[in-house]
Amino acid sequence: MAEELKLVTTWSQSVHEMQLGATRQEGGSRKAALTVGGEGALPFLFKEGALPHKPLIAAEIFDVPQDDEPEALRRDLKGISGDPVSWAKAMIADAGADLVSLKLAGIHPDGANTSAGQAVSLVKKILAAVDRPLIVLGCGEAARDNEVLPLVSEATKGERLLFGDAVQENYKTLTAACIADGHNIIAESPIDVNIAKQLNILISDLGMPANRIIINPTIGALGYGLEYAYSIMERARNAALSGDKMLAMPFICFVGQESWRAKEARVPASESPAWGDAAERGIMWEVVTAMSCLQAGADILTMRHPRAIKIIKSEIQELMKRP
Amino acid sequence: MDKCIVTFLPDNKKVVVDRGTSLLSAALTAHIHLNSSCGGDGVCGKCRVLVKAGKVHAEPSGRISPEERKAGISLACQTLAESDLTVEILPESRLDLSALSREELALRLRGIYAPAEDVQEARPGLAQEVFAFQPLVEKFYFQLPAPDFNDKLSDLERVCRAVQEKIGEAPLHTGLANLRKLGELLRASSWNVTVSVAAKGPVYEILTIEPGDGSRKNFGLVFDIGTTTITGQLVDLTQKKVLGTKATYNRQATFGSDIITRIIYAQAADGLEKLHHAVVDVLNEMTESFIDEHKVDLNDVTCVCVSGNTTMIHLLLRIDPSHIRQAPYVPTANYIPVVKAAEAGLKINPHGALYCLPGVSSYVGGDITAGVLSCEIFKSKDLELLIDIGTNGEIVLGNNEWLISCAASAGPAFEGSGMTCGLRAVRGAIQAVTVDPKSLDVKYTTIGGDKPRGICGSGYIDLVTQLLAAGVVDKNGKLNRQKTHQRLRPSASGYEFVVVFGPQAGMDSDIVLTDADLDNFKRAKAAIYSAAALLVRHMELNVGDIRKVFIAGGFGTSLNVESAVFIGLIPDLPRERYAFVGNSSLAGAREVLLSREAAQACDRIAGNITYFELSTDAAYMDEYMAALFFPHTDASRFPSVRY
Repeated sequence: MAEELKLVTTWSQSVHEMQLGATRQEGGSRKAALTVGGEGALPFLFKEGALPHKPLIAAEIFDVPQDDEPEALRRDLKGISGDPVSWAKAMIADAGADLVSLKLAGIHPDGANTSAGQAVSLVKKILAAVDRPLIVLGCGEAARDNEVLPLVSEATKGERLLFGDAVQENYKTLTAACIADGHNIIAESPIDVNIAKQLNILISDLGMPANRIIINPTIGALGYGLEYAYSIMERARNAALSGDKMLAMPFICFVGQESWRAKEARVPASESPAWGDAAERGIMWEVVTAMSCLQAGADILTMRHPRAIKIIKSEIQELMKRP
Repeated sequence: MDKCIVTFLPDNKKVVVDRGTSLLSAALTAHIHLNSSCGGDGVCGKCRVLVKAGKVHAEPSGRISPEERKAGISLACQTLAESDLTVEILPESRLDLSALSREELALRLRGIYAPAEDVQEARPGLAQEVFAFQPLVEKFYFQLPAPDFNDKLSDLERVCRAVQEKIGEAPLHTGLANLRKLGELLRASSWNVTVSVAAKGPVYEILTIEPGDGSRKNFGLVFDIGTTTITGQLVDLTQKKVLGTKATYNRQATFGSDIITRIIYAQAADGLEKLHHAVVDVLNEMTESFIDEHKVDLNDVTCVCVSGNTTMIHLLLRIDPSHIRQAPYVPTANYIPVVKAAEAGLKINPHGALYCLPGVSSYVGGDITAGVLSCEIFKSKDLELLIDIGTNGEIVLGNNEWLISCAASAGPAFEGSGMTCGLRAVRGAIQAVTVDPKSLDVKYTTIGGDKPRGICGSGYIDLVTQLLAAGVVDKNGKLNRQKTHQRLRPSASGYEFVVVFGPQAGMDSDIVLTDADLDNFKRAKAAIYSAAALLVRHMELNVGDIRKVFIAGGFGTSLNVESAVFIGLIPDLPRERYAFVGNSSLAGAREVLLSREAAQACDRIAGNITYFELSTDAAYMDEYMAALFFPHTDASRFPSVRY
C-alpha cells in the first residue's frame, strides 16, 4: 500500500467470539471447531485492532429440490443438488466451503410438507457425512419451525450447531431449544439496527449467552438494497466496537439466497442479450454482493455457486494477509 | 323522500329522519351523543346499538360478531333506517356528557389526584404574582364633569379623556352602537357612568358604557378547549378570584376522537357547522350554569379567554381547518385578533371580547403557549422541558433565550381510545395498578372508587410497568405465552392478560390487556419519548442537562413518575426534576385574562417558539424505532430501570 493509513481509531470493545461446532472432547462429533467474530477493528483495518478470525463461507443447500433454481445454478449443481448429503459433501470437498447451511424448506406445510422425523434424520446424515459444523434453518413458517427445529436441536445436542432464524415475533421457542441443547442462534432483523439490538436483548434475557448469538442483519443483493444493508452493518459494528454489548455479535449474511433472487442473476442471455452470459452474470452478482458484505463486516457468508465460493475464498485469503 | 320515525331507548326520544339516514346521525339529531372515535367510518366499533323493531340496512362489520348480529346488535354509523324503528342505545356506546364529578375535576386540575380536594376553592396559581394585575377588560367608574361653555369637549372625547387618564395615551376606539346612545346615556345618568375598556394589543376599545357605578361587577371566563375535555373557570376580574371551575367532555368527540378525524369531518356537508356548534354549545351551557350558580349578570361577563390546540380554535371560530392536515400544514391563523365573543356565538355581554391564546403552528397551539407561560419556561435560566401528553403529544424545550417545540402523534392510547378496554379518566376507570410478581394477583384503584369499567392512561402505564417487572410482558411488549396462569390466555387477536374478571367488574366481559393494546401503547410511548429525545439531540444537548420537566395534560395528573420512567415514556432523570402541572393550558389562559402583561408575554412566547417538524427529520424514525422497546433499545438511557 503506497498510502499509509494515518488516521487510527482506538476502539473500546471487541466483537464476541462465537464457536461453531463441538469436537469429540467437547461433547460433539466435529473434527474441528470453527470460530468467528472477535474483531477489535473495522473490517481488514489491521492497524486499528485485532482481527483474529477469517470470515467463513457456508454453502447453502436445501433438503428438497428447489423448482425455481436459476439456470446457471441448475446446470452447475447438476447431479448433486438432488441429494442434500452428497451436495453438502461436494461443497466442502470440491468448492472449499468452510461449513454447510441447510435450509429445511421442505417442512413448510404449503411445500413438500416433510415430517419432523425426516428433517431430524437428514440433519444427522449430513453431520455423519461432513465433519464440519452445520447451520440449520427453518422454513420460515413460525408454527412449523417451532415444531420441527426443537426436535432437530435436541437430536443434535452438544454439536454446537447454528440454528435460525429467530425473529422478533418468534424467538422464544428456538432460543429455549438452543440454550438447552448448547447450540448457537441466528437473530434476524429487517435491515434495522434498533430491532437487531432489541432482539439480541430479548434473546439474552431468556438466558442465552451473548457469544452464542449471531446477527442476520438481512441483506439485499447488489442493486436490491445492498447499500442499506451495508450502512446498517456499519452502524451496528461501530456501536459494537464503541462499547455496545448488545450489538457486539458477529454477522451472518445470506448472500447466495439474495444474489440468485436478483433479476440480473436469473434472466437468460436470450432475453437480455446485452447483459451477456447468464451464468457468469449470476456468479458475479453473488461475488460482488459477497465482497461488499465482507467490507461491511460479515463473519459468515452463505453462498450458492461453487465458483463464486472459490473466488470469494481466495479473496478472503488476500484480504486477511496482514500488511 | 320517505320519512322514518326512530325511537331511541331508554331515553324514549323520537326523531323523524329521511329514510336511509344512519342511526348515528339520527341519534345526533335526537341530541343523543354516541361514542364514535372514527367519526362514523365503521372502524372503531364503539357506536353499538340494538335494533329492537323495524327494518334497517346494516353494512357488515368485523366489529360485530355473527351472534351479535343475529341478536340485532349493529354499529349505528353503518346501519341505515329503512322503516320506523325502535333502537336501544347500549350503555357502553353512550358518550357520557354530564359534567364531570368533583373528583374528576380535582384530577384534571390539580397536580395529583386527591378526591377530597375542593377545586372550586383551591384557586391554583393565583397566589403567586408573576404578572402585574391588569385584566384584559377593565371597568372604570367616572363622575364626568358636565360640559359647559368653557369645556365644550364632545361627549365621546369627554369619555375618552377620562379613560386615557387611566390607561395612558393609547389609541382608543369604540363602536357605532355605543355612539348612538352616548348623548342620551350620559345626560340621563347625570354624567356618572361605568366604561369597560378592552386591551387589543397596543389599541384599546371601549366595549360598553353603562349608567351608574358598575365597576365592581366585572367578570371573565377562561376555557381550555381540549380535544377530549373542555375545562372552564369563571373569574371575578376586580377581585382577582376564581369563582367556579367546571369540566365536561368536548361534544365534538361524537364526530371523531382525534383532530384529524374532525378536520376530515369538517369537510363534510354541514360538518364545520356541527363541529362549531358542538363546542360553542358546551361553552354557552357552562357559562349559563356559572352565572346561575354565582348570581352573575350575563352582561357583566365582558371577556372570554380561550386556549386550545390550533384545530380547536379554528373550529370554535368556525374557520375551515382543512389546511392544517395538508402539506405544508399551514393554519389559517396562529395569532387570532381579538374579536367580539358574540361573533363566535358565545353568549356573554354582546360587546364582550374573545381572546384566543396565540399558537405556534398547526400542531403546536395556544394551549402550549399557555403552558410555557404558566410553567415560566420562558423565564428560566436553566434548560426546561414541557411535555403535554395527549392524543397529540406536544413538547417544548428551552429557557429564557430560546424555545423549540414539536408535536408527536402519539395516538389516543393514553386517553383510553383504541385500547380493548380503554377508558378516559372518568369514574370507574382503573387508574393505578399493582401486580404481585409471583401470584399475578392484581390490585387496583379506580377513579371515584367505583366498580371498574375500564382502564385509563395512568392505569395502563402502571399495568404495563407491573407486568414487565413480573415477566408477563417482555421488553418487546409481547405477552409471555410460555407462562401458564389463569389470567393469561389466547384471544381472538393473539394473547391477552385478564386484569379484572368480568363478574367482579359488574360487566359481562373481562377487562383485559391484549397484545394489540400493548402494541398501541408501545407506539404511543415511543412517539412521546422519541420526540423529546430528538428535540434535545437536535439542540446538541443531553437529556441530563434538563433541570426541570413539566408534565401537563389531563392524563398527567395521576401519573406515577416511577412507572412512566420504567416504561420509557419520559427520560430517566432525578425524580425531583419532575413537576406535574395538570392543566397548564387553563392556568396560562387565566394569567392572560388577568394581566395585559401576561398577554403580551404570551404573544412574544408564541413568536419565540421555533417549530420543529418531526415528520421531515430523518433522525426521527430512527429515534422512534429505538424507543419501540421497554424501556428503550439503548438501556443506558434508563440507568435507574432494571428488569
